[in-house]
Amino acid sequence: MRQTSDQVDRASVWRRLQDDALSVLKSLVLVAITTIGLLVLDQFFALRHVTLVYLVPVVIAATRLGIVPAVIAAIAGGGASAFSFYPPIYSFLVKDPQHLIELPLFIFVAIVTGHLATNLRRQADLARRRETEVHDLYAFSRRLAAAHTPSDIYTAIREHLASIIGRRTILFETAPRGAADAALSSEGRVPEQVKRATEALAQGRKGSGNGSVVEDGEGRVWLVRPVSAKAGDFGVLAIDLGQQAGKMADAIRERVDAVLADATATLEHLDLGRALSDARVRSETEALRDALIGSVSHQLRSPLVSILGAATVISRAPGNRGDPRLASLADVLRDEVDRLNSDVQDLLDAALISSKGVRLDCEWIEPADIVNAAVDRRQRLLADHRVLLDVAGELPFIYVDPILLEQALGQIVDNATKYSQPGSAITIAARGASDAVVLSVKDDGIGLVGEERTCLWERFFRGERRAANVSGSGLGLWIAKAFVTANGGQIEAFSEGADRGTLVSIRLPAREPATPDLAVSGDG
Amino acid sequence: MGNATILVIDDELHIRQFLRAAFEFEGFTVQEARDAEEGIRSATLKPPDLIILDLGLPDRDGSSIIERLRSWSNIPIIVLTVRSREREKVRLLELGADDYVVKPFGIGELIARARAALRPRVVPAANDPVVRVGPLEINLATRFGTIDGKRLVLGPKEYQVLQILAQHAGKVVTRQQIMKQVWGGSHLDDTHYLRIVVRNLRRKIELDPTRPRILLTELGVGYRLAP
Repeated sequence: MRQTSDQVDRASVWRRLQDDALSVLKSLVLVAITTIGLLVLDQFFALRHVTLVYLVPVVIAATRLGIVPAVIAAIAGGGASAFSFYPPIYSFLVKDPQHLIELPLFIFVAIVTGHLATNLRRQADLARRRETEVHDLYAFSRRLAAAHTPSDIYTAIREHLASIIGRRTILFETAPRGAADAALSSEGRVPEQVKRATEALAQGRKGSGNGSVVEDGEGRVWLVRPVSAKAGDFGVLAIDLGQQAGKMADAIRERVDAVLADATATLEHLDLGRALSDARVRSETEALRDALIGSVSHQLRSPLVSILGAATVISRAPGNRGDPRLASLADVLRDEVDRLNSDVQDLLDAALISSKGVRLDCEWIEPADIVNAAVDRRQRLLADHRVLLDVAGELPFIYVDPILLEQALGQIVDNATKYSQPGSAITIAARGASDAVVLSVKDDGIGLVGEERTCLWERFFRGERRAANVSGSGLGLWIAKAFVTANGGQIEAFSEGADRGTLVSIRLPAREPATPDLAVSGDG
Repeated sequence: MGNATILVIDDELHIRQFLRAAFEFEGFTVQEARDAEEGIRSATLKPPDLIILDLGLPDRDGSSIIERLRSWSNIPIIVLTVRSREREKVRLLELGADDYVVKPFGIGELIARARAALRPRVVPAANDPVVRVGPLEINLATRFGTIDGKRLVLGPKEYQVLQILAQHAGKVVTRQQIMKQVWGGSHLDDTHYLRIVVRNLRRKIELDPTRPRILLTELGVGYRLAP
């Protein structure tokens, strides 16, 4: 082990020397190229003050290769101009006293310029790196804000650390109170030895703050340490150091320590601990709400199924069949069950919209199909009104979630029946506009006045004027608006005032499907 | 058809009770099962003519029951489901369910679906290869269609779509089922073609194409030819 690490060190020193020699060689080549160029130009024009031109290779060497090659380029440039251009030519001797002053001055200026150029270059690099770091950090904090579960956060931490350390990094999630089992949060295979070291670290947290170096079975060395020596909640990190060992590993370890000190400060600054516990609570609450919604839906719906089923069976039973009184009682039950069922559905829809947003399942659809489905589903509700359907024949297909849109239109139809007299007309139309399809419901009911015009779409808003004798949850139009907006549409209500009726319109963008008419061409 | 046996698989006693009464009034014989295991056992020991399957069973997922039943039998299955789960309905129909009824339902609706599911399918080679749906008649052997006795002029795709729907008259057919049979497997997602064909068909067979009475749309699922 000792011996191999010495070999590794010697090899790396040798590699560095080679790199340095290569840089010096490159700077000398630059000077040579400049000299050749100047000699060629000198054939055509009698050049004066050529020395200044040697600043070019110096500045290039300074920005690309570093300060040592730049100094060497400066000296070589001075030498080359003395050799090639100052009389006596092809000798390093300089006779002219003016040239004797010029030459050291050039070397001095060249070295200073080289130094400045190197610094500038270093600062530019630094600024660029800072920018990347800030960008990374910004992306990281955005991910934290959006994280829903602790494992999202751990993944974000791992990727953030991996990108700043620049090596394969595995993050082990530790339980909140430093429990013994370290859960894994990474992709890829993890060697047994690393896993064991992580567990040991998670168990005996105190006193092993700086972590340890572990070798897996395949000659790779891993650095295992907690992300933060102080706060345990951030987990344990395993960094793949590769095949290197000894002093190189120590150097990397120092760098990792520095990076992690920075990173932990950032994590603490971002209040990661809170974010983690918030995420835990959030995922639990969501699971609870989902369970509640599911169970409420089941609990409220099941009796409705039996009530409606049993009632319709009784009215159709052999002894009762054809008795109009029983049939009408069954109808009463049917209407009430439908109403309760749609109220339950409203509650579920509203809970889903506010907890999860609207999920779309879009497809190309014939607008008439939506109108027909909404009307057919409410046949019994609409039975007391004169229903006029006004659907244009050649409407473009629209790309929407048909189920949600049918529910939205249905909510508006429900409202029209509730707020208008039995026997009055309800017109349901579908018309094409320039680049849209407009579905509308027009009634001859009580219309809209005052705050109703603005508050109509709010959750739990119910018009004062008929609140006493019209049933409803106050959710219908709010749901309709959510569904229409999610489908990229606009919903609006117009009314000329009290008892002058209401017109609600749903405007949906119409665009042509991208596919050509295979059906038509295949039809011959 | 009156003597057909119906197997009701439902965990709720009340639903089983009214379904038994309803189907017995109509002259059917009814078997009951309380959960998926009992249902599958019952269907194996004494195969019924029709299965009514409630999806909310406690012991097994609906789709796995359908898969299990379909692995050895073609007994028609009607699924009892809840609203706003169109994706699930489509999946169950693809797995081999024949139709669905949305809870809560009036019994008349379920009985109509059951009769449609029990009706034997007309095939071109049958003695009387004619499907009659209301005013519509389609001769599967000669591939001629008439509406109110008048000859229909149909393009080949239009005829194919209408034939599939007519053979399943009264039952829902998913868009994907039609796409697969008419256009083949590669165009399953381009249901836009199907919509164009349906629009053309409605223009030919419906009195008011914007208010169809024969070729009905099941939103989010597929089409159904009115029984």
